[in-house]
Amino acid sequence: MTDLLRYAVQGIPIGCVFGLLAVGLVLTYKTTGVFNLAFAAQAYTSAAVFFVLRRTHEWNVFAAGFVAVVVVGPLMGLVLDRALYRHLRTAAPLAKLVTSLGLLVAIPQIVNLVFGFGDKPQYRPPPLWPVDRVNDLILPSKGATIAVNAAEISTIVFTTLVVVGLVVLFRFSAIGLQMRGVVESPRLVQLQGVNAERVSMVSWMLSSLVAGLAGVLMGPLFAQMSANDFFTLLVAALAATVFAGLVSIPKAMIGGLLLGVLQAEVVGFVPTSNTLANGLRPALPFIVLFVLLVGRLVVSLAKGRGVDFARTVSDPMAGVDPPMGGATSIERPPWMVRSSRWFALGACVVGLFLAAVVFDVEWRGIVISGICLGIIMLSMTLMTGVGGTISLCQASFAAIGAFTTAQAVLRWNLPVLGAMVIGALVAALVSAVLALPVIRLPAVYAALATLAFALMFETIIRPLDAVSGGSVPVRVPRPLMAGVDFTDNTNFMLLATGIAALVGLAVWSIMRGTTGRFLDAVRGSEVGAASVGINPARQRLVAFIGSAAIAGLGGGLVASYVGQANYEANFVFFLGLVWLALLVTTGSRSVPAAFVAAIGFYATPKILSSIFSAPGNYLASHPSTSGVLRSALDVVDPSWAAPLAFALFGLGALTYARHPEGIMQYQTTKAVSRVLAVIQRRDREPGQTTGAPLVSARNATIRPSASEAGPR
Amino acid sequence: MWFKVTTTLETVSSGLTDRGTGMGARGRVRVACVAATMLVGTAAACSNAPATTTGAAPTAGGTASTTISPGPSGTFPAVNQPGVTATEIKVAGVASVTNPLGASYGSAFDGVQAYFDMINSQGGIYGRKLVLSQKIDDNAVKNKEAVQPLLSADIFAVLPIDTLLFTGADDLAAAGIPTFGWVINSEWGGTKDAPKANMFGQEGSYLGITEPNAVIPYLAKKIGVHKVGILAYGVPQSSDCATGIKTGIEKWGPANDVQVGFIDTTLGYGEKNLSVQVGRMKDAGVDFVTTCMDTNGVVTVATEMDKQGLKARQYLPNGYDHDFVKEYGDLFEGSLVRTSFAPIELPADQQPQGLKDLITWMGKGNGKLTENAITGWMNANQFVDGLEAAGPDFTRAKVISSINQMKDWNGEGVSPGVDWTVRHTGPSDASCSAFTTIKDGAFVPDFAEPGKPFTCVTSTGPQLVITNES
Repeated sequence: MTDLLRYAVQGIPIGCVFGLLAVGLVLTYKTTGVFNLAFAAQAYTSAAVFFVLRRTHEWNVFAAGFVAVVVVGPLMGLVLDRALYRHLRTAAPLAKLVTSLGLLVAIPQIVNLVFGFGDKPQYRPPPLWPVDRVNDLILPSKGATIAVNAAEISTIVFTTLVVVGLVVLFRFSAIGLQMRGVVESPRLVQLQGVNAERVSMVSWMLSSLVAGLAGVLMGPLFAQMSANDFFTLLVAALAATVFAGLVSIPKAMIGGLLLGVLQAEVVGFVPTSNTLANGLRPALPFIVLFVLLVGRLVVSLAKGRGVDFARTVSDPMAGVDPPMGGATSIERPPWMVRSSRWFALGACVVGLFLAAVVFDVEWRGIVISGICLGIIMLSMTLMTGVGGTISLCQASFAAIGAFTTAQAVLRWNLPVLGAMVIGALVAALVSAVLALPVIRLPAVYAALATLAFALMFETIIRPLDAVSGGSVPVRVPRPLMAGVDFTDNTNFMLLATGIAALVGLAVWSIMRGTTGRFLDAVRGSEVGAASVGINPARQRLVAFIGSAAIAGLGGGLVASYVGQANYEANFVFFLGLVWLALLVTTGSRSVPAAFVAAIGFYATPKILSSIFSAPGNYLASHPSTSGVLRSALDVVDPSWAAPLAFALFGLGALTYARHPEGIMQYQTTKAVSRVLAVIQRRDREPGQTTGAPLVSARNATIRPSASEAGPR
Repeated sequence: MWFKVTTTLETVSSGLTDRGTGMGARGRVRVACVAATMLVGTAAACSNAPATTTGAAPTAGGTASTTISPGPSGTFPAVNQPGVTATEIKVAGVASVTNPLGASYGSAFDGVQAYFDMINSQGGIYGRKLVLSQKIDDNAVKNKEAVQPLLSADIFAVLPIDTLLFTGADDLAAAGIPTFGWVINSEWGGTKDAPKANMFGQEGSYLGITEPNAVIPYLAKKIGVHKVGILAYGVPQSSDCATGIKTGIEKWGPANDVQVGFIDTTLGYGEKNLSVQVGRMKDAGVDFVTTCMDTNGVVTVATEMDKQGLKARQYLPNGYDHDFVKEYGDLFEGSLVRTSFAPIELPADQQPQGLKDLITWMGKGNGKLTENAITGWMNANQFVDGLEAAGPDFTRAKVISSINQMKDWNGEGVSPGVDWTVRHTGPSDASCSAFTTIKDGAFVPDFAEPGKPFTCVTSTGPQLVITNES
């Protein structure tokens, strides 16, 4: 057997895994209209159930597999549909993507809490085959040139069954057609007497069943149960999903197989120890993903189809269901605007005073970290809140800023603040290149392209010693300015606040200025915006480059505060996803919300930790406590704090669909409405009992704001 | 969709004509420009704060010996130091108790507590009980924030630090607090200019993973293998580790008939298909495999080796994990594991006193004897030895200085010995370790001699010099 053929065959088992994941993503998108990043989290849930049933309760493989895949998988789909996605059927792609992002962050944490996976490794996930260990069955025999074990056999068998089953379902059954129909036009399908609600429910249950099966099959690939591993593998499979154009199940399978084979061939033939190999080999799935996205864009443009190359459908019944309610906004009288601004300014001053004088060093550190991160989150405000594009690479831009700052100080001995500005410029420059394809891509594809960039940066650029310093992070000093030494944390906090204020003012100005208005128009309707002379690509370019510059500046500031440009600690791409989930929860179009989200990111685990430590502390100081009270308090575990905090961050993002303005703006609007209602009541003439309804949070909304993006 | 389009166009037109609430468009542009200008201007008018150098530099000298006895009145002198009262010496630590790997970092607290329990059972030190007053869970991998409360807390020392990342290292170094922990991050180490003299790890503070690794050529020769396969991820710490192994083999391999048979330092993190790599190792006749990878990685390699019938022993530098071996012992039969401490599997009559104490007192506290727990014990032992050497009128500076004069601290035999006059900023001449072999799902001490559990490889010259030490 030639090496070429041998490597190709060796790539097939992992290709099947990629294929199954891609098929699952395509199935979900095809039948629900959601690009479901939470697919990995659903897969992890079923895998965790299977693990517990097999390893802890020692069920046999068939019973455990049935419960994990056939019961838990569809049940999760049912819950997601009934509780969440049925309300999002007419929502913009942005809202659906953000919701799935929230679930991706939240579900694994909840699973870990429920099963108590946090404090010890859960070794040896079992295979979906009647053997205990994956190598208990090896075909044709142990030591053969080409051999497959129980995990690989089960993956190949079940993946083939799933693909064939789904192709038959969509080609030859009425329900398959109905599923696709409901995504494209639920009302039209209903006119044919089909219960669209029920079909949607079945779609979610089916796609979740595939997620559950994928999870159980993937489990034995890892030494222990870890949700991160599932997501990493899902991300690697995204290229196959794009290969399938998000709609073709056979193509998704073929794409997965090709990816597995290509990876094996590259490993086999590309030298193992040169610069090309160092970058190319680990980043291959992400390079393929990026190339596919750009390639599709180029082909689409060349064929004159415009930029909207995804198969889009105009729903002839779209007018029947009005779009989801937009973000509530309310006109405030000028005196209220002025007084609320003064109040906000006063609150900031008081907050800073408390942080500088009253807070202990830990809480001061949380505030400083929050301010620095707040600047990075402002970049998301500009990109997502104003620009209407989900970027999953803002953490990478922050890393670019941090690395550039570090290298500029190290190599050229530049003042650190000057180096930060250079860092921001370099991030902007990189984003300008990346923007060429990204700003022309539809929402889901743009998000995937930025994710691909983040992963390419992580695997190709970041390991370079010349960039990151390798295993020893490059040191970044604190600034020294006009005799003020910012090594002191209070001084640094004031400096960070000053920079944050300037950046916040700049973002606010952009939002309220012409660029912001243009971007609002583009988000609402590109065609409408173009008809009044707005260039959508130019506006998105401005938002993209501006947001990258801000992220880069924030990254440099983080590095200076921490004292080093440390990628693992501060800039891994997954952190960017969590930050985004948190930002859209508090408000993606609000400058203060960015800082609330950022400080919340650091403060929430601390607060929860204090709460969960309280029972233990009480018992330690009251050793005589006994009985039910002791038993009850003993249950509370401080290690719940971090997973619960991340679960809350993720669950918060689920509110985005209903309140795209964010909880801060929503609550502010409610409060203003109440105040106005009181004033109106007071101003009402004596004896007047009827007339115009009072202003309330719901019905006094003066107009839905443009923050509810239309589909791109 | 008509609704949205209308709304948007309304908004646009209002944006173009209505200048909003108090500031016109031109004004907003001006604000943006001013903000940007101020940022650039501020940046240009500043410089950098000097790098912080703290802590006393290590000085040469022998291990201090102090007789601890109360004064004439039966009391010890008052000590005016943070965390020290007439009855207690308080310390605090940070560990990644909750971590995404599910690893047992938190058991470092158990190790510290067990050692403190032992000392306290003997009356404490200088009439004071040792108290682990705060156990901080670096649960969200925010080490910088996690160490902040320690900087101003009422504690005398920080131990253990047992975390995934250690971004708070510089803060602790700058504060001059005696700090003890598990050295797996480069931030522990210092430089000649800034030695971080108050940071103490289980076998030194300088990590030096890129230094040529002499252990592999030694082990290869010892077990009679000749071709080494090296696998590592493309991330810096992993690939640097592999580079150290490769250069070590290149340097000392020829004299020991050992060579690199296959090397791949570009594995993607989480890469699950290593069939091609293992196949190529098999083709190349590799008979010894070493990795710089996490649990997932080594299990994937071992599974594939088993499947393809590659008969090669593995070297697991971080494999001393009883739960892990219990689960995966079948895949790692015959693999070699290195530890920086005497393994608890040593026969009872060959166990040094420190190890006997460790096993006894960890057992009393029902703590699991993990690598982290043993490291925690060693940290506490080092701390107490520093206190003893500093004398009854101890201060933080005295403790740091005393430890830094120790040229062969060995924790009553648990450690092979640390030369603190050099180990803050560089390697020592000899690399000393204990080795075990995985047999039937358990660790079996290997290469040790009675009373001498450690093997030391001196690599200052072209030839490796091997000695066994107690």
